[in-house]
Amino acid sequence: MKKLNKILMIGGLGLLAFSSCTLDEVGDLNGPTIENIIESSTRGDIQDLVGGVLNDMRIRLGTYYDDVGVIGREYYRFSSSDPRFTSDLLGKGAATLDNNTFYTTGPWGARYGTVKSANVILQAIPNTTPTYSAQELSAIQGFAKTIQAYELMLNLNLMYQNGIRVDVSDPQNLGPFLGYTESLGAISTLLDDAATDLSAGGSAFPFNMTDGFVDFNTPTTFREFNRGLAARVAMYEGDSAGVLSALGESFFDLAGDLNKGVYYEYSSNGGDLFNPMFFPENASTAGVRIVQPSFITDAETNDARVPNKTFLRDAPLTLDDLTGSYDVFRYETNVSSIPMIRNEELILLYAEANMVSNPGDAETAINVVRNAAGLGDVAPGSVDEDRIVYERRYSLYAEGHRWVDMRRFDRLSELPIDRVDDDVWVQFPIPATENQ
Amino acid sequence: MSKALSLKLFLFSLLFFPLTAVSQQITGTVTDGTNNQPLPGANVVVKGTSTGTTSDFDGNYIVNVSDYPVTLQFSLLGFESQEVVVEAAATVNVTLQESTTALSEVVITGLATSIKRSNAANSVSSISAEKLTGTTPPTTLDGALYGKFTGAIVSANSGAPGGGLSVKMRGITSIAGNSQPLYIVDGVYIDNSSIAAGLNTVSGAAAGGSASNQDNPTNRIADINPDDIENIEILKGASAAAIYGSRASAGVVIITTKRGKRGDTKINLTQSVGFTKAINLLGLRDYNEQRVEDSFGVDAVADFIDARDNGRLIDYEDELFGENGFINNTSISASGGGETTTFYAGISHLDEEGIVKRTGYEKTSIRLNLGQRITDNIKLDINSNYIRSSSDRGFFNNDNTGTTIGVSLTSTTPWLDLFPVNGVYPDNPTGASNVLQTRDLVTNNEKNSRFITGGSLNANLYKGEKSDLKLIVKAGLDTYTFVTRAIFPKILQFENPDNGGVGGVSAQGTTRVFNTNYSAFMVHNYTTDSDLNFRTQLGVTKENFDRDGILVTATGLVSGQTNLNLAANRNTVQNRLKQNDLGFFVQEELNYQDKFIATVGVRGDKSTNNVDVNKLFYYPKASLAVNVNNLGFWESEKINQLKLRVAYGEAGNFPFFGANTTIYTNTTIDGLSGITLVGQLGNEDIGPERQKELELGFDVGALNNRIGLEFTYYKKKVDDLIIQSSIEPSSGFTSKVVNVGNLENKGVEIALNATPYETDDFSWNTNVSYFKNQSEITKLNVPAFNTGAFGATLGTFRIEEGKSATQIVGISPDGVVVHGDAEADFQMSFQNSLRYKNFNLSFLFHWKKGGDNINLTSLLTDLNGTSHDYDTVDLDPAGAVGNGPYRLSQLGVSAAPFVEDASYLRLREIGLYYNFTDEVLKNILGGHLESIRVGFSGTNLINIFDYNSYDPEVSNFGSGGISTGVEVTPFPSSKRLMFNLSVGL
Repeated sequence: MKKLNKILMIGGLGLLAFSSCTLDEVGDLNGPTIENIIESSTRGDIQDLVGGVLNDMRIRLGTYYDDVGVIGREYYRFSSSDPRFTSDLLGKGAATLDNNTFYTTGPWGARYGTVKSANVILQAIPNTTPTYSAQELSAIQGFAKTIQAYELMLNLNLMYQNGIRVDVSDPQNLGPFLGYTESLGAISTLLDDAATDLSAGGSAFPFNMTDGFVDFNTPTTFREFNRGLAARVAMYEGDSAGVLSALGESFFDLAGDLNKGVYYEYSSNGGDLFNPMFFPENASTAGVRIVQPSFITDAETNDARVPNKTFLRDAPLTLDDLTGSYDVFRYETNVSSIPMIRNEELILLYAEANMVSNPGDAETAINVVRNAAGLGDVAPGSVDEDRIVYERRYSLYAEGHRWVDMRRFDRLSELPIDRVDDDVWVQFPIPATENQ
Repeated sequence: MSKALSLKLFLFSLLFFPLTAVSQQITGTVTDGTNNQPLPGANVVVKGTSTGTTSDFDGNYIVNVSDYPVTLQFSLLGFESQEVVVEAAATVNVTLQESTTALSEVVITGLATSIKRSNAANSVSSISAEKLTGTTPPTTLDGALYGKFTGAIVSANSGAPGGGLSVKMRGITSIAGNSQPLYIVDGVYIDNSSIAAGLNTVSGAAAGGSASNQDNPTNRIADINPDDIENIEILKGASAAAIYGSRASAGVVIITTKRGKRGDTKINLTQSVGFTKAINLLGLRDYNEQRVEDSFGVDAVADFIDARDNGRLIDYEDELFGENGFINNTSISASGGGETTTFYAGISHLDEEGIVKRTGYEKTSIRLNLGQRITDNIKLDINSNYIRSSSDRGFFNNDNTGTTIGVSLTSTTPWLDLFPVNGVYPDNPTGASNVLQTRDLVTNNEKNSRFITGGSLNANLYKGEKSDLKLIVKAGLDTYTFVTRAIFPKILQFENPDNGGVGGVSAQGTTRVFNTNYSAFMVHNYTTDSDLNFRTQLGVTKENFDRDGILVTATGLVSGQTNLNLAANRNTVQNRLKQNDLGFFVQEELNYQDKFIATVGVRGDKSTNNVDVNKLFYYPKASLAVNVNNLGFWESEKINQLKLRVAYGEAGNFPFFGANTTIYTNTTIDGLSGITLVGQLGNEDIGPERQKELELGFDVGALNNRIGLEFTYYKKKVDDLIIQSSIEPSSGFTSKVVNVGNLENKGVEIALNATPYETDDFSWNTNVSYFKNQSEITKLNVPAFNTGAFGATLGTFRIEEGKSATQIVGISPDGVVVHGDAEADFQMSFQNSLRYKNFNLSFLFHWKKGGDNINLTSLLTDLNGTSHDYDTVDLDPAGAVGNGPYRLSQLGVSAAPFVEDASYLRLREIGLYYNFTDEVLKNILGGHLESIRVGFSGTNLINIFDYNSYDPEVSNFGSGGISTGVEVTPFPSSKRLMFNLSVGL
């Protein structure tokens, strides 16, 4: 009976202990929450958010370049594990672009991810401890908005006339899709706003950036990057005067290094990313990028841009009825930087904007680019759209321009068709998950 | 005289004539017919009254009887009942035989109680050790369940050694939430996680936008040793499992391990050896010069001719998957007990090679179960199990880098020479990796070290004539340290920096799990004068889950070293999970003379996974069983049981950890650290899923239960389905966890068991079961969405209101249309055991009719021109082009060629054994042996399917959610053939 009493007591106590129990919240153990970040950040947290934005800009970038590079017939993207690079993107047979597959949704979502991260910065900076000065606030805003505008522009490049959402600050209440022209206008306005903010941003950013911004890491120099982007957008808008005025405030320099610009950075550090556009020589069908043969055959003799950006394979490679002998070799190593915008493009924009109004200036600019490629000057007075298209094709190879250029010049029909039933797409469908 | 009156008189007589009563006692001993040991706990009841008792630990009983003659009924769960007519006070010894028919089993209906199967209101499937492991030794516990339970679909995710199975009961129960059942072993909640080894770093499988883990890890229920199991019971839906509340929505598997019995120590030694072999290899394409030129270009033709003429065409599929893996399985167990203590101790060791070199599975399990009688009324049980397992799983499934053996094989042509020369593997000139090098040098190992222990204390607090009160306290602990090592040496073709590799990868993960569960119950029994029995139980439960995983991925390995500190770069990811649940449970069972058995109960649960952690969610249940045969107006010689039953219950599924928060994770770029949103928008309003199940059925037993039929119809609704809904990506988020709608499963389960023939020399026992399930998304608050595969071009699952939850859609010339459904039309299993003298033959056929897979393996081989049926013309409706070109021509046009019927008929298990006769045993080793059994057995020896790959039973995405049945170059599945010897001492 003694034992029984003991048991009874233990059981009774147990029951009592259970019934008085309440649970304590566990919280999220795996990361800071967005509410904490917005409501109570330190200046150090803002630095981390900026680091995050610079990182986010690189997410799915490889897919973006493949999308525009393959459709723009700059190269083939072979894959032994995913057929859609050589079927859907090239419009093989009856294949079309799918609105719910990674090549549509991946880059699109990633760019908006950056936009969101930048929006969080904008929401968080008024609430930090210690607080930021008005100048510092302005500088951060200018940074964040410039990045947002750039990211939106990349998505608009994919969607073209399908348009994009510009107002996305509230996930529960997203703004409408705007048409192409309206979207471009909104991006242009955002860049202008940012430029104004940067002008009022004092002499230094209250955060550090990567080496990709080494020449553009103060509000003043960062504004030159902003204006470079504005020049590109103005050209998309067909506004030559706007291009020239923006170039005037940008880092455009006819005598300068063609590669001066803003870059995505890569490294082999743990947790960092490798350059998704680096491909080893003689790679296999598993993931090789093969130069579309016309890039080689259409080139002027001795155009140094061809050997600089391609590599003659030991043997040609065939997949899915596509064959090529050259690898894309735009980057030397898997940690090489990828340009967002660089002086060579600005010089070409300058040439294009002056083509009609100031042919002489256009010629000068074109010759700068040609001479750098080991080619002689163009015949005087010969700079026309064909010339612009050619130089842009070779100067900006595999940097995401060819398809966009051919589209805005209304020359998509000139892109080579490799297989009888292939198609050249004009634009991507709006991702299914946008519920449009 | 009315019964009530006679009872009162009886009680009266007990009170006033105690001496007379004593003189009218019946006493005796109840013995177990199988071992002639005393049988404790047997019920002894005076027929037609509520007077009775149970036998004590020595099998002794005493019953007071006032009026002779009486009929005594002796019964015990698991034994055939017996009736004895007693003319006068005397000693009556009874021997009970173990029951062979299902109807006399017991099933567990409460957290602390069980009920006779003949009184159960649910169709509860249970199988014994004999059926679980008796036919052939299984590799893993879940692998032993194939085809043995109606309504439960067990399927393997791949053929890789060491498990990786999915168990689904009565259809899909959740889309994003947990869809695997809860496993409970001797009262201990068993963790069944699948933990990825970080292969994705190399394969890049998830880079294509698929967030699912395609590492194909094992699930941890594989650790439980099937040899230790006495009985498994499956609660398939909420109507039976409501007592498990918020963890029961996917069903509950209740496992009871073996226990010692009082008496001489029995030792059993089992040794099995055998081999495993691929069940189905596809073979080579029928190459010729023209075909090689068409598919691989002119340059390849010379290589082809050269290789062919020199007899050097190599079947790399056979080279990789053609091995016979050796299997060696040893187990020893001992059980027995004395006056107060009983024990079962078992140790087993399993060592199994895979069909691919350097793959395999090894497991050692040690178990000690102790039972201690503290007093006549208090019993303590402690069960402990230590497991050490290790599996080498190779590098398979989907990738985006051409590096897994599976994907790489699709582009490996037979004229390539990939064999090492002096230990140096040549680079594959046409692919990213050399499959032989990958096989020989890549390590993908999982090791687990696990300790599971549980204790239960049963105390009879009070025992009277009419009522008794019991206290049951249980505690359980499940803890393990799981270590993964994925090593990709620098020398591999795709790791070599000269080929653009990152200089080797060493991904090492450690996950620590520490889960505990506690419960305490009071069970009160009360029988009224009119023989109405009330059983009340009341209890509280608490479960704590704590998991902490660290995965370090290092690249740039230095001089062949794999230590993380010896690598150039490291990335560390830590993932923690913590959940505390608290619940209570009340249940009332009423039993009126075994005629009407009714149950009502409710479970209340709260959990830290909910937004409001202290909000209680209630899960009610109610059931009624009517034994028509006991009602009295039924007298049939042939039909000895007819039971009608109806049960209703609710169960839940709490949102997963972190569903309500939007969080950041760390990033780094060029030495600059940062934080980034993880892509999931937290939902502050997320609630649990709720499953409501109604089950109706009847059981018939005929010819003294030689024929039994169970018929069950169920309708199972899941409300507030949790999904990771895609949200507009322009929000900056890709998904949000939301309660979006309702799903309904309807199904029928029929089980027939019969002993058509039974004599001393020959007996035949057969079980046939049939089940089918149909699901429908009955409500969806978000637009229909695709999930669980690779997009509409290649076929994908689509959640859409009014449609099957498992429909497979894809593009077609008419837009996106339904191409199939993963749900089988029906499944059947045929279990037979035949005995002729000392020979036993048992076998189990499993037939899955219908149900489709998304098979992308042939697409990948087509793209590379290596499909075995590339030139066969039987798919093209025009009969013009070969299957390869035809499938390719449909790519981007229609997903139809990738959606394939995954029906199969297979001989899951077969075993033929001979039991040595006593005469022979007498002459061996001085007659000390009690039994010797020898025989052959096999698993999956016959496989019939018309499916264009290794096996229709496959899943690229593991066991989670609905996306099973997607195939991308898996580890081929295998069959096993074993020789078994079992010796009893």
